[in-house]
Amino acid sequence: MSIEALFKPKSIAVIGASGKPGKIGYAILKNLIEYGYEGKIYAVNVKGGEIEISGRKFQVYKSILDVPDEIDMAVIVVPAKFVPQVVEECGKKGVKVLPIISSGFGELGPEGKKVEEQLVETAHKYGMRILGPNIFGVVYTPTKINATFGPRDVLPGKLALISQSGALGIALMGWTILEKVGLSALVSIGNKSDIDDADLLEYFKDDENTGAILIYMEGVKDGRKFMEAAKEVSKKKPVIVIKAGRSERGAKAAASHTGSLAGADAIYTAAFKQSGVLRALTIGEAFDWARTLSNLPEPQGENVVILTNGGGIGVMATDAAEEEGLKLYDNLEELKVFANHMPPFGSYKNPVDLTGMAGAQAYEGAVRDALAHPEMHAIAVLYCQTAVLDPRDLARIIIEEYDKSGRKKPLVVAIVGGIEAKEAIDILNENGIPAYPEPERAIKSLAALYRWERWKKSKKA
Amino acid sequence: MNRIEKARQIIEKAKQEGRNALVEPEAKEILQLYGVPTPEFKVATNEEEAVKFAQEIGYPVVMKIVSPDIIHKSDAGGVKVNIKNDEEAREAFKTIMENAKKYKPDADLWGVIVYKMLPLGKEVIVGMIRDPQFGPAIMFGLGGIFVEILKDVSFRVAPITKEEALDMIKEIKAYPILAGARGEKPVNIDALAEFIVKVSQLAVELPEIKELDINPIFAYEDSAVAVDARMLL
Repeated sequence: MSIEALFKPKSIAVIGASGKPGKIGYAILKNLIEYGYEGKIYAVNVKGGEIEISGRKFQVYKSILDVPDEIDMAVIVVPAKFVPQVVEECGKKGVKVLPIISSGFGELGPEGKKVEEQLVETAHKYGMRILGPNIFGVVYTPTKINATFGPRDVLPGKLALISQSGALGIALMGWTILEKVGLSALVSIGNKSDIDDADLLEYFKDDENTGAILIYMEGVKDGRKFMEAAKEVSKKKPVIVIKAGRSERGAKAAASHTGSLAGADAIYTAAFKQSGVLRALTIGEAFDWARTLSNLPEPQGENVVILTNGGGIGVMATDAAEEEGLKLYDNLEELKVFANHMPPFGSYKNPVDLTGMAGAQAYEGAVRDALAHPEMHAIAVLYCQTAVLDPRDLARIIIEEYDKSGRKKPLVVAIVGGIEAKEAIDILNENGIPAYPEPERAIKSLAALYRWERWKKSKKA
Repeated sequence: MNRIEKARQIIEKAKQEGRNALVEPEAKEILQLYGVPTPEFKVATNEEEAVKFAQEIGYPVVMKIVSPDIIHKSDAGGVKVNIKNDEEAREAFKTIMENAKKYKPDADLWGVIVYKMLPLGKEVIVGMIRDPQFGPAIMFGLGGIFVEILKDVSFRVAPITKEEALDMIKEIKAYPILAGARGEKPVNIDALAEFIVKVSQLAVELPEIKELDINPIFAYEDSAVAVDARMLL
């Protein structure tokens, strides 16, 4: 049973739809309409009648069975006690996938869990899949679906984000908008009664709109299934995981020496390593990596070139590169090409110091030469804001040169400075070029790309 | 009978006797079934046998108490090392049995395991636990303070390939000690990796074994040998 209808439905029904602002059934309809979903939208609520949202009038059907059309996806927001009946009706209607927003199931204990299992049984009987329950919804930007009660204006991009946490997931949604992280998808998986991380990984592996996957995870139900799926996906696309919480076993008294050493999450760490998953320790780190991994091509070799206008950030970036095991290109004969773009007191030794006098021309020339040079495989452009060059102009220069080169090499940017620097970073990120306010973050993100690349190579060998 | 069936016989016997742990000779027999090197051993039930087996194996030998009721063999005074001749063998057997009786009067004493005293190698440890989500996971570490105090260990989920085993060996901070730091000769990393792979196979094929410690393992320039082992059911 495919989960494709979750992302590419021809029609969506909201069961528990409401015309009252503040209700979840209202917020989801509103987001669906305003984010621009182009398929058909239907409102269902036992109360019937008519509602108006964002200037669109909806006849409210009392049951999904009354809707005079085929329904691919039904978003369920009715109270828990009505969910079993609604699921049954959706089955009869031939719905394909059911995001169940409603809470009050497995998260409450064994009895709720039992009801949840029955929902899945009913759904599978009719060939339906369930997302949730206990979720905030699903977003898929290529088909302009925002079926959540979170923020509306999700930026389109190539990162698929999967969240086990509801509150944090919604918060991150807002955060991605603020920080210009483009998403292909955002899936709240809640109680994972049916669709789980592994199912989604498999889908995103072959999804042409997704370049990388980021999972916020508190735990997996079937570790083996996750490992197998992650291993397959990692061969094709990078998978980043933030794992919170301790494993269940942590609490159990250990009888053996090994047991006492298998602390908090040693096994998760091992499983991630074995399946090529990149484990980030903080949300900031995860999204830093995600920017680079979802947007950039794979490097064709190990040689990294750092271009900078300040010795200080150049050294900081070099330190980070060394710690992360990146190789700075050191062929002085070839690096000499950068001498054309700097005053005589500049240094073309990597990190290439274009000096504080570096303006638009210097950066334009240096970036172009680095992109064109066959032995320079990855580029980090650093800039300390000076009066010589407005960072926003630099952003435009980089975008232009990167586009002209065909975006064949990984290129990351770090701009340190004030409000203009922040704007320049946003411009770059909106254009799919990962940009950061600190040199170390740019380098570490590039390093994450290399780490994934190395893992992939080790699997091919 | 294949190795799984043979191992199951040993496990079944223990279960029928209401035990949740295997004694050292049983654990070592299972290791041998999976090709994990252990020193040749025999279990003596009296002084005469102790001397006979020691002669067969060749001095010097080690003797340890075999009892399902005694877990901490050293604490019970149940271990004698560097036994060099018949007289010492006879004496060791007697002392071990007496100490064990004193330590735990109602303990069921099966005898004494006799095995060749090996030259000291680099001490490493391999273990296994079962994770509720991921199943059997294998641990590797350098023995002594590296494990006890620094907790310098690495884990992988079984089954483990040889490449993964090599990775987990190289991952521990103390790896340079194994690789030959300060002019010392390196231990055979390849043999260690194979050791880990075999334990991983054992863990996958015998779900009855819930936890496992092989500690210490002596790692040498040419091989790696399991000196002591515990298996919990």
